Amino acid sequence: MKRLTDDRITDFKNYLRESGLGEALLPELLDHLACEAEERLWEGQSLEKVIENLRSEIDPDTLKQLSSDHKDLLAMEDSLNDIVFENRNKLYGAYALRREYSGHVQRATFIGVGIFILLFCLPELYARLNPEPQKDDIVFEVEFSPITIKPEERHLPPPPVEAPPPAPVKTVRDLPPLVLPDEQVLVEHLPPTVEMLENALPGQETVDGTEITEFLVPPTEVTGKGDVVEIKPEPEKEYTYAEQQPEFYGGSEAFGKFLQKNLNYPATAARAGVQGKVFIEFTVGTDGRIERARTIKGIGFGCDEEALRVVNLMPNWKPGKQSGVPVRVRYTLPIAFQLE
Amino acid sequence: MENNTSNEYVRGTLKTIVLNLLADNGRMYGYEITQQVKERTAGEIVLTFGALYPVLHKLEQEGQLLTESEAVDGRMRKYYTLTTQGAETARTKTNDLERFMEAIRLLLSPPADPSTGLATERG
Repeated sequence: MKRLTDDRITDFKNYLRESGLGEALLPELLDHLACEAEERLWEGQSLEKVIENLRSEIDPDTLKQLSSDHKDLLAMEDSLNDIVFENRNKLYGAYALRREYSGHVQRATFIGVGIFILLFCLPELYARLNPEPQKDDIVFEVEFSPITIKPEERHLPPPPVEAPPPAPVKTVRDLPPLVLPDEQVLVEHLPPTVEMLENALPGQETVDGTEITEFLVPPTEVTGKGDVVEIKPEPEKEYTYAEQQPEFYGGSEAFGKFLQKNLNYPATAARAGVQGKVFIEFTVGTDGRIERARTIKGIGFGCDEEALRVVNLMPNWKPGKQSGVPVRVRYTLPIAFQLE
Repeated sequence: MENNTSNEYVRGTLKTIVLNLLADNGRMYGYEITQQVKERTAGEIVLTFGALYPVLHKLEQEGQLLTESEAVDGRMRKYYTLTTQGAETARTKTNDLERFMEAIRLLLSPPADPSTGLATERG
């Protein structure tokens, strides 16, 4: 029996490896090829011829097919596909399609979901990358300018002017009497008499100061709760407008009736066909009395006088009030003269 | 028989063939199997290495075969033997195939004599 040399076997091995045969199959196939070659050599063929034939039989395509078949067969689980295709032609496309179906579905799902999410996120992303100022956005432009802070000069209060010492008050020496031996007693330091204390205070020394004529009267004890503070009207101030304006008693309606009753259209004005408004200014006193009435704008022909007369004729008004206190209010009243 | 058609039938029965051969011979390697098949069928059936090795590996994966490698003439040779499970499978598969072939034979052989069968029914 003829044998292949190790070199030949290495050649075969390299050839198979170059054809992309997996490690799982390689040693076995090598043995197979070697056996085949040895068989043919034994039959009498020449070495070159044998190698050439084998190479043509075992071309890379066949090996590739073998590899993929091998892989498929080993990876095959007993799935529905395998049952369906058990004795059928698996090389026809349907089997491959079915086998890879789940993978395709998975891939398609991921891609689909990815595109879907991208579609939704794209506007948001775009907005984030290019923030557009909106019309109704409120923008403040603030300019900063350097500010120099000067230490504030402190105005110290002027030193208190020392008040001149009060004029010495006339005092008479009056010390509490001490019990001393007779020889130490000074005759000049006798206690003061009542006459001496009449206009002076008892003190350490006898000082010829101002005589005290006033005497402090102790405060009489306050009994009761004290006086109730009455809100007194302010008589001096005259407001042009008060919180509560003065008012004709009974309002504008009563005022209208009053005018109708008392106002006469002057004959001269009626003859001249004069009409219009006379403005009378007057002060409503705190008691509501009408004072210092005068015409500030008139129309003449006796109308002004007539208006003034009627105003002075008016009864007391309801006084205007400021913070609840009745005040004097200067008031302007238009009185209309109108021909019918 | 044309090689192509032969392959078609072989594809379905390849496992059975391999298991059966191993059951007969005990311990074989790949090339030996192809040679055995060739000899015993007088060249009618030729197992290509492309078909054989994937099937062997598959059977090994299924736990039907055991393998052991030996160094022979500077290369590794992988021997296959049946496991107990493989032996069991070999028996059932062979039986199945025989029944199947019997059926095929019945199917392919000309009917015995349909006219007589019909005649008796008529008579």
